[in-house]
Amino acid sequence: MAKLGIMVRDTKYLEYVINTAKAAHTKGIQVEIFFTGKGVLLTQEPNFKELVDVANLYVCDVSFRANGLEGKEVPGVGFKQFVTQARNAEMIEDCDRYLVF
Amino acid sequence: MKILHVLKSEPDKTVNKFIDIISGEDKDIFVLYDTEVDWEKFVDEVFEHDKVICWW
Amino acid sequence: MKTLVVIVRDREQQYEALRSSLGALLEIPSVKMIVLDHEIEMHEAYKDNMEFLDEMEGERYSNNKANVEKYGFKYANIEEIGEMLKDADIVIPF
Repeated sequence: MAKLGIMVRDTKYLEYVINTAKAAHTKGIQVEIFFTGKGVLLTQEPNFKELVDVANLYVCDVSFRANGLEGKEVPGVGFKQFVTQARNAEMIEDCDRYLVF
Repeated sequence: MKILHVLKSEPDKTVNKFIDIISGEDKDIFVLYDTEVDWEKFVDEVFEHDKVICWW
Repeated sequence: MKTLVVIVRDREQQYEALRSSLGALLEIPSVKMIVLDHEIEMHEAYKDNMEFLDEMEGERYSNNKANVEKYGFKYANIEEIGEMLKDADIVIPF
């Protein structure tokens, strides 16, 4: 199965991320998304939950805390999906294509 | 190597300069801003190219 | 062997970009971080991670001479940076 990795580091492009992930999922592509930097703020947006069924979601734990979100719930993201930058490195290595939003 | 340049917002002088250096005359660009995007086509294009750069 | 370039022009995320560059080195042997235009706002955590990047044999470049003179970045002009972006397998614009 083809794999698409997406890094989300900005807050401006959530719609693009959702649309890309849904389209890739429809095509049978496995989608992995890593939220980092300011991008973690998107985890609190109402439409973030649209990603839950179409992608494996990961959140940079350091960025999450640095942006004052510690203790906040994130749909579809369990304890083990709060990760370090090493997970992003694995994603870069594992995925067939890698996008940055 | 086939390179796809993805424009999330209007490119400035620096981005255009980089695209010129990287791809010269033969550039493949996919625009996501100010347009009706066919997202499945976008995903197809991403996988039809060897490398994708999503500019700022 | 994959090669990666992180190119940074969002001043607010200069530290995130450095952390991502460092993290990438865990999997990818060739990582270049390029600071475009602005001068780094140096602080202790940035300095520590920058030194760690050097120890891990990551490379750092800038077209801003203040970064070269004050913080030991290698100088690269826009054309040279463009060539680095062209040669890399993965480009992460920050």
